[in-house]
Amino acid sequence: MISTSTRLFLQTPPPPVNIFSSGDNSALSPSSLTFRQSGYFTAAAATCASVETESPTSRYSTLPRNLIPASPASFYEILDIPMGATVQEIKAAYRRLARVCHPDVAAIDQKDSSADDFMKIHSAYSTLSDPDKRADYDRRLSRRHRSINLYSGGCSPSAMSGFTGYTPRNWETDQCW
Amino acid sequence: MAEQAYTVASDSETTGEEKTSPAFPEIAIGIDIGTSQCSVAVWNGSQVELLRNTRNRKLMRSYVTFKDEVPAGGVSDELAHEYDMLSGAAIFNMKRLIGRVDTDPVVHASKNLPFLVQTLDIGVRPFIAALVNKMWRSTTPEEVLAIFLVELRAMAEVKLRRPVRNVVLTIPVSFSRFQLTRIERACAMAGLHVLRLMPEPTAVALLYAQQQQQSAHENMGSGSEKIALIFNMGAGYCDVAITATAGGVSQIKALAGSTVGGEDLLQNLMHHLLPSMDHIFSSHGIEEIKRMGLLRVATQDAIHQLSSEMSVPIDVDLGNGTKISKFLERAEFEEVNKEVFQKCETLIKRCLCDAKLEAEDVHDVIIVGGCSYIPKVRNIVMSICKREELYSGMNPLEAAVRGAALEGAVASGISDPFGSLDLLTIQATPLSIGIQADGSNFVPIIHQNTTTPVRKEQNFTTVHDNQAEALIFVYEGDEKTVEDNHLLGYFKITGIPPVPKGVPEINVCMDIDASNVLRVFAGVIIPGAKCPPPFMEVRMPTVDDGHAWSAQTLHKTYGSTLDLVTVKKKGQH
Repeated sequence: MISTSTRLFLQTPPPPVNIFSSGDNSALSPSSLTFRQSGYFTAAAATCASVETESPTSRYSTLPRNLIPASPASFYEILDIPMGATVQEIKAAYRRLARVCHPDVAAIDQKDSSADDFMKIHSAYSTLSDPDKRADYDRRLSRRHRSINLYSGGCSPSAMSGFTGYTPRNWETDQCW
Repeated sequence: MAEQAYTVASDSETTGEEKTSPAFPEIAIGIDIGTSQCSVAVWNGSQVELLRNTRNRKLMRSYVTFKDEVPAGGVSDELAHEYDMLSGAAIFNMKRLIGRVDTDPVVHASKNLPFLVQTLDIGVRPFIAALVNKMWRSTTPEEVLAIFLVELRAMAEVKLRRPVRNVVLTIPVSFSRFQLTRIERACAMAGLHVLRLMPEPTAVALLYAQQQQQSAHENMGSGSEKIALIFNMGAGYCDVAITATAGGVSQIKALAGSTVGGEDLLQNLMHHLLPSMDHIFSSHGIEEIKRMGLLRVATQDAIHQLSSEMSVPIDVDLGNGTKISKFLERAEFEEVNKEVFQKCETLIKRCLCDAKLEAEDVHDVIIVGGCSYIPKVRNIVMSICKREELYSGMNPLEAAVRGAALEGAVASGISDPFGSLDLLTIQATPLSIGIQADGSNFVPIIHQNTTTPVRKEQNFTTVHDNQAEALIFVYEGDEKTVEDNHLLGYFKITGIPPVPKGVPEINVCMDIDASNVLRVFAGVIIPGAKCPPPFMEVRMPTVDDGHAWSAQTLHKTYGSTLDLVTVKKKGQH
């Protein structure tokens, strides 16, 4: 008796985390900060894809290629730090952004996008906090900057070759959840 | 209780109404269900408070006694004597039994408990029963846990003078996702909604993060990053976590866990004192259970005393001419449990290695759990971490539940004017998750110790020409072959175009969200297709009890016809 009824319950997805449903949320989440940065989070996704081969690529993308921004945000821009930032600065920036963007602390209306934002922040952090990966990334980044200068456009051949599989992606729209 | 389960399910649909209610958000309570003891804590508005039962106890024994019609748990029940718990009527150690099949060595080791654990060794759930009126009355670990949680909930509601629904529960690191579903089921049966299932050492890590933040405030310090190693060993499980903490953010770097604990120490010593134990107790008669109980209590007392004494006298008359009378040395106890202690060592070393850290990098070494009082355990931790002192700012028996209460407050959206709740845990996956491919190999897609939330994907391809379908078997674990890992579920992909083997591109994507829900997306990618077959989205785990059979049956029915192989990345040819 008990087990049949609970099975019914367990086969349905769990209730969405509705923990922010009551009370005043505005004090908890500086949502404006999340918003301001979301513009280049989307663009930065392409950069992530080229470095972390296992991260999702643009299979599900429906966006035409000409919507690719000329210069997607670099990991440094995502973390809002200068290119010469120290390891401590990178870690501090990561924590500062995590305190705002992690789904556990984001406001209820930001829950869906905050996981994506956090993953992008984490992707940037995991590359920049590893000295080898960072050196490799810095090389790619400077190559990209050169090519952009040469061809004055994001769709230059060398830029594309440097970032294979590089297309914008956005899981919310792509997956149509 | 069946109605309560429905209440839980329907509650999610009424959240819109709650939004408009002016009431304070419900603060989720933290519950630490230990193999042997359990406790409840809650954020009271300014700090974490442990709730006491009617007998003024903060720590309650985790057991349920079955008597006539009404079962009674350790929350409200007070035992006249320890032996009453060992009369056959009480079920305990449910945390060691929940979500395990009868081929599991942990279940087999539980056969020496003074109630009935019967196995048929075919991969189904074990038969568990309590002795009621000289009859074995069957139950399940989920039911026992649910009865216990109902009592805990009632106690908390009386203390807090409000209904309690949302909870943060601590769990062992080594629990499979299938076991987590059993915990969730028990909570649903008790009318509780699980906000988070938090690995025990990560709850301790959150408490540590709060303490560090407070001391940084007091000393006006910079709050620079601190690395802590947390070793948690209770009666049932041993867990290790490494966390990097600064500014109230606890970032879990690595997790390692195993099914070794005080129960193993106890059973090994019982075997040592009475080598013919298994044989004597195998019949599970009423007399045998009584004798088993006597030996258990005597051994347990001896272990407790050996934490402060170098040797302890054991004098127990088991009846039927069986008497044990001897002095037990601490060294003897340590020798008998050599393997358990070695496992603890291995776990700590593995965790350090996974976190890419040396012992010298660790600022604080925290040791919690019931076994933290055992000198040998402390020595092992201190010697591997190369230090003379352990972190002293925590009560070893309360740290996990306090951390769970903090997480409960943070996840409930509570903020504190003094910044005491400006906390965040960045969790990591304790086990790898992947699929079966390349024969019976386990191909991880999300690796162990990956920060969550996370989304990873990998491409696979067919092994036969014109293979139209493929089976996706999702496993969790860190062994090379799938048989040694936990099956989470399986589903079929259809509509693969009729092309030679190795050509189709089958994409498998795994997503773990902040609530630790795992979703697997999979489908075939057909470039340029106007109307490609839809992808599958499957919430895992989907398996139920006896799941070992389903995988075997599928392999028997389909052989390798629906197999997949990994696609080699460019540059790896």
